Amino acid sequence: MCRILMVHREIEQLSQTYYNKAYQHESFLKVSLQKKEVLAGCCVLVSCRLLNWPITMATILCLINADPTLVGEVYQEMISALKIEAPIVLITDVIETHIQEYKISSLHLPEEFAENSKDLTRCAVALVELAADSWIVTGRKPVPIIMAAVYLAWQSLRPTKQRLKTSLEKFCQIAKVNKYRPAVKRIAEIKEALCKLGKEIPWVREAVTPDNVVQHVEDILQHRYALLRRAMRTHQDALQEGRKAGFDNSLTEETDSVQSSELVEQTPNSSSVKQCEPNEEGAPQPRDGDNNPCTVSELHSGPHERNDVELNWGKRVLFAPPCVIRAKRRRVEQPELQDVTGDEEISDSEIDSYIRTPQEARDFALTQKMFEKS
Amino acid sequence: MDELERYFDDSIANDSGFMLEEGLGLQSPAHSIQDSSYLSVKAQSSTELGEELDLSFLPDELSTQTDTAKAAETQAAAPDVSQDSGICLDYNSQDSTAAVDPQQGGSLQSSASPFCPMTPMTPMTPVTPVTERSGIIPQLQNIVSTVNLGCPLDLKFIALQARNAEYNPKRFAAVIMRIREPRTTALIFSSGKMVCTGAKSEEQSRLAARKYARVVQKLGFPARFLDFKIQNMVASCDVCFPIRLEGMVLTHQQLSSYEPELFPGLIYRMVKPRIVLLIFVSGKVVLTGAKERAEIYEAFENIYPILRGFRKQ
Repeated sequence: MCRILMVHREIEQLSQTYYNKAYQHESFLKVSLQKKEVLAGCCVLVSCRLLNWPITMATILCLINADPTLVGEVYQEMISALKIEAPIVLITDVIETHIQEYKISSLHLPEEFAENSKDLTRCAVALVELAADSWIVTGRKPVPIIMAAVYLAWQSLRPTKQRLKTSLEKFCQIAKVNKYRPAVKRIAEIKEALCKLGKEIPWVREAVTPDNVVQHVEDILQHRYALLRRAMRTHQDALQEGRKAGFDNSLTEETDSVQSSELVEQTPNSSSVKQCEPNEEGAPQPRDGDNNPCTVSELHSGPHERNDVELNWGKRVLFAPPCVIRAKRRRVEQPELQDVTGDEEISDSEIDSYIRTPQEARDFALTQKMFEKS
Repeated sequence: MDELERYFDDSIANDSGFMLEEGLGLQSPAHSIQDSSYLSVKAQSSTELGEELDLSFLPDELSTQTDTAKAAETQAAAPDVSQDSGICLDYNSQDSTAAVDPQQGGSLQSSASPFCPMTPMTPMTPVTPVTERSGIIPQLQNIVSTVNLGCPLDLKFIALQARNAEYNPKRFAAVIMRIREPRTTALIFSSGKMVCTGAKSEEQSRLAARKYARVVQKLGFPARFLDFKIQNMVASCDVCFPIRLEGMVLTHQQLSSYEPELFPGLIYRMVKPRIVLLIFVSGKVVLTGAKERAEIYEAFENIYPILRGFRKQ
């Protein structure tokens, strides 16, 4: 496996060591051959991680052709049995190796569709960073995100009609990779995030929609931090307007402190993380530094606001994890049983309602026999 | 016959003695300030939110303590107990004092009742003084309990005679029985042992288990109610801000496990109390592995500053 992956000697040796250890370990002594193969894959994975070789589980899955749940199970078991603490893989590190998979260089494809991997990588990495800042990456499987980023990068590097018309399906066919279903959703999410920034481009006159955003992707990525700041400001102003109009009465203390304090930050990642949350406090705020809208509402507008505030916090910030923005309406559990002591009297009639009448029991037994016979 | 009642009586007796022995000082007043303020939060929020809040676990001695509390409340030196105390959540009535003395906070917590989670422990992050509590109460979602009915059971007979039972010996060696109120499910084994799941509070779980025992009794078995024990409690809550899981796993690597390829949440195995938390990017947190409600509250109060402090980074 290590040879196929072309990893360092050390990784090979380390994985060998782990495999030997695990093989002897009690939890893996009597497992099937298949599991042992999976175990080998996991050892390679862990060794790569420990020695900073970026690799995803998906790659291992491809190599050993196993069921993802099984691999997950074995992996967890192995690291707890051998007490390994493996660092997580940064998605941006993995992109470059993944792009090798995509056969899109000029050797494989006509000029129209070909793209050199360096540009592609650069663009895809920027897209993934943007996705990460907009909460699209956290909690999601990395490979579909990478696929979406590569696809969008490929389209945007030369946004010809041909390329724009190519669906993800077709793209995967051309590039000879397996399509991942979630990638379609990720594309939509990334496009949405791009639109939010694209709206702020001063020299673009027409509306930026998911349909035409690809043309502007290069610009967006180049100036994304400035655009992000502008978007945050616009969003803040919009919120202020809304509040003045009295629609949103939950947070009265939000200030413009975000703009002044946070814009000074130059380190891109941290600033974008901070700027993603307009509720972030940098300057002293009237509140005691707690940005939790729930507590604020408890302090000021009464706890009955809390539900609204909770449900809407995703809508009030510029970027939020998609699962929050599109929160499913949970069915509200009826609080039927308040103040149950556990010692209440249990009525006979209630218990009787759970017991069959003799006639019922006979009928049931009869039908059961009939079913067994047939 | 009812073991549980004896268990509760014993523990209340022990701990009330313990609390009174602590003497007044700063301990009981602070304790009761929080209790009374907690009660006020609960009363407020229960009417507004319609959430089910169970006060039954609070000690009965509360009323006696509040008298001493009133006298002590005027003392300016009443320290703000650190986040290590789980239940006491409202900080309205207390000014967030700038510097929390962790040592003092630690010693305050030795007055423990089974219901007020002031377990003696060193603060998790001694450098950052946390001056306020979260104001969020995790809601219990599921309680798993076991009880011994004390007699062997004929599962086939039960499945035949009970309406709410299903029994498929080839699939699983127990009868699956359900009742409507409290909405729960029970697994009844031929040895007479029973597992009750689905209740939203300890008392509901006990009531449900008793109902199942009654059904079995009515069917003709000499069922008793022995060794009722809560085995697991699951709760959930929402901190209402997004969480950078990738960052969190970097700073808390020994206790966290985040594998987005396997599971979207971060699995945090807290050592004290021994609770497993599932933390999601949306800010929702699931806490499980508790045997007592106090452990849940304590665990959440421990994780909340981490989540918050981490969010600002």
